[in-house]
Amino acid sequence: MPRTRSEVVGRAVRTAIRNPGRTVLTMLGLAIGVGAFLAMVSFGTGARSSVMEQFEILGTRVVYIWTNMNRRDFGGTARPLTDADVDALLRDSMTIERVAPRITEVQNLKSADRTYPTKVTGTSPDFVRIREWPMLMGGMFDETDVRQRAKVAVIGTTVARELFGRLDPVGQTITIGANLPCRIIGVLISKGQQTTGEDMDEIVLIPASTYEAFLGTPIGYHELMVQVRDLSLLETAMVEAVPIMRRSHRLAEIEQDDFRMASPAQAAQLARFVSNILTGLLVGIAAVSLLVGGIGVMNIQLVSVAERTQEIGIRSAIGASPRQILMQFLAEAVVLSFTGSLAGVALGWIASTLVARAMAWSGNLSLLTMAGAALFGTSVGVAFGYLPARRAAQLEPIEALRHE
Amino acid sequence: MSDFSIVEAQGIRKVFPNMSAPVLDGVSLTVDSGDIVALMGPSGSGKSTLMNILGCLDGPSDGSYSLGGKDVSTLSSRERAWVRLHYIGFVFQSFHLISDHTVLENVTLPLYYAGVDRHEREARAVELIERVGLGHRLNHRPAQLSGGEKQRVAIARAVSGAPRVLLADEPTGALDTKTGNAVMELLLEIHEARALTLIIVTHDPEVAEFCHRKVFLRDGKIVPRGGRHAANA
Ligand SMILES: Nc1ncnc2c1ncn2[C@@H]1O[C@H](COP(=O)(O)OP(=O)(O)OP(=O)(O)O)[C@@H](O)[C@H]1O
Ligand SMILES: [Mg+2]
Repeated sequence: MPRTRSEVVGRAVRTAIRNPGRTVLTMLGLAIGVGAFLAMVSFGTGARSSVMEQFEILGTRVVYIWTNMNRRDFGGTARPLTDADVDALLRDSMTIERVAPRITEVQNLKSADRTYPTKVTGTSPDFVRIREWPMLMGGMFDETDVRQRAKVAVIGTTVARELFGRLDPVGQTITIGANLPCRIIGVLISKGQQTTGEDMDEIVLIPASTYEAFLGTPIGYHELMVQVRDLSLLETAMVEAVPIMRRSHRLAEIEQDDFRMASPAQAAQLARFVSNILTGLLVGIAAVSLLVGGIGVMNIQLVSVAERTQEIGIRSAIGASPRQILMQFLAEAVVLSFTGSLAGVALGWIASTLVARAMAWSGNLSLLTMAGAALFGTSVGVAFGYLPARRAAQLEPIEALRHE
Repeated sequence: MSDFSIVEAQGIRKVFPNMSAPVLDGVSLTVDSGDIVALMGPSGSGKSTLMNILGCLDGPSDGSYSLGGKDVSTLSSRERAWVRLHYIGFVFQSFHLISDHTVLENVTLPLYYAGVDRHEREARAVELIERVGLGHRLNHRPAQLSGGEKQRVAIARAVSGAPRVLLADEPTGALDTKTGNAVMELLLEIHEARALTLIIVTHDPEVAEFCHRKVFLRDGKIVPRGGRHAANA
C-alpha cells in the first residue's frame, strides 16, 4: 500500500484535531512532564554554575589570610599583618608564588566636578595578577610606584562612570579622602555584579605604601592574598603558611594563631559537593515529573482504550491488516507525543529563561538537553500510546468489537 | 445465478473458553453463489457466532470452512484480514461506524485499506452513498444521522470493496418496522445489482420471506424445520 503510506500521517493529524479533548490531555501530560524536567535541569545547572562563578572571581588558587586585630576576643594581643609577613611567606614557603597585601576602607572620592564615596584598596601590583584581572585602559601601578609611594590609582568601570561620566578617566586626577590627589593610570575591565549583589567594578586600587603614608593603616593590612603555584599545592601551602606566620608574629607555643586562613577553592569544593547533591535531587524530581507525565498519557489511553479498541475492531472487521492498524496508531502516538514534547520544551525553555534572568544566572539549557528531553518525552508517549493499540490489534476482530 | 458453492462450512464447532457446552456443535452449511439465505433461530442459539466465523471475524475451534473454493479456516490473521477486505462485507446490528469519521470517510475506508487512490475511492464511495439515498449527508458524522441512515451508510461501506459475500447480522434489529423494511429493500436491491451472495440473520418471518432459503439453528446445530422455535424466540 505505498499509495496510502503518505496519507498515514495526515490521517493521524486529522484524528488528533477531531478529538480535541483526548489530544489536549495527552499533550498536556507530556508537555508538563518534559517542561518540568527541563526547568529542573536548568535550575540545577544554573544554580551550580553561579556558585562556581562566585568562587572563581575570588581567584582559583588563592589562600586568604585575615588579621585578627579587629577581633575583640584577642584582647589586643594580636599582631598586625605587615610587609614582614609578606616577605616571610615568599621567602620561607616553596609553594607560594605571589602574596598581595590588602587594606580596604571607604573613602570620599572627588573629581573636578563630582564626589563619590567608595571603597579604596591599598595593595601591590600582584593584586591584579592573583585575581587574573586584565586592564581595560592604561596599566597597573608597578613596584617602583610602591617604593616611591606614588600618588597613582587604578579604578573600576563603575567608579569611572560615577566620577567622569563618558570622559576618558586615564590621566585625570582624583582626590581621595581629605588631601590625597592621585593620577588615574588605568581602568580595570568590568567584572559586573556578583549574585550577592556586590558590584565588582566599584573598586579603587592605590599602592599599599601610598595608602599607609597618606590614609594610615592603624591595624596593619586587613588581608594577605596568597597565590599558590598550583591548585594541587593548595592544602600544602595552607599547612606550610601557619608556622611561617607564627614565626613572623613571634607567637609562643601556647599562644593561638592571631590570624585566620581560608581558601575559596576549598569552599568551592564543598559548594560543588552540595550543589551536586542538589542537582541530583532536582533531576530526580524532574525524572519523576516526566514519569508522571507518562502515566498521565497512559491514563488517557486507558480511558479511551475501550473506544479505541472498538474502532480497531471495526477497522479490522472491514479488512485492515494488523500492520495497517499499527501504522495508524504509531503515527498518532508519534504526532501527539512529539508535539506534546515540543510544547514541553518550549515551556521548559521559557521557565528556565525567566528564572535565569531573574537570578542573573548565565547557564542555560543546551540544545542537546532539550533535544534529549524531547526525544525521551516522545518515546514515553509513543510507548504508552502504542502498546495498548498493539495489544488491541492482536485481538480477533470480533473480540475487539465486543470490547465495552 | 450460478450453482457453484461459494460458502462451504463443514462440521464447524465453536467452544468459548470457560464454557462447557460448545456454542456451535458441528454446523455444516453450503451456500451457492448469488443465493439469499435467512439464518434464523432463538436467541442464544449461536447465529452471531456462526456469522462471525463465516465472515472470518473469528476462527472455528474445529471444522473446515472454504470461501470461494479456498480453505480459510487455517489462515493467519493477516491472511484473514485480506480475505475480509476482498471477499466479505459485514453489516452489524449496531452499525459500527467510526464516530469521528464522516459518512464519506466511513464508506471509503475499505478502499483506503485496499490501496485504491484517493480520487477513485471517493468517486466510488460518493456513487454508493447516493445510491443508498444519502448524497446530501456526505460530510455528516454518524452521531448526526438517524438509525436507518446509519445502517444505510454501513451497507454502503460493506459493499464499497465489492465483496462476493455480504453478511448481515440482524441489520434491522435496532430499527423500527418501517425503517427496517426500507433497509431490507435496500439490501435486496444491492444483492440484485451486484450479484452477491447474501446471508441475513433475522428473527422476522416477513424478512425471511424475501430469502431464497431459510436455515434454522438451535442449540448450536442446524435443524431441518425450525419454524416453531423461531416463533418462540
Ligand atoms: N465471546 C464469547 N465468550 C463466551 N460465550 C460467548 C461468546 N460469544 C457468544 N457466547 C455465547 O454463545 C451463545 C450464542 O451466542 P450468539 O451471539 O451466537 O447467539 P445469537 O443466536 O446470535 O443470539 P441473539 O439472537 O440473541 O443475537 C450465547 O450463549 C453466548 O452467551
Ligand atoms: Mg446475535
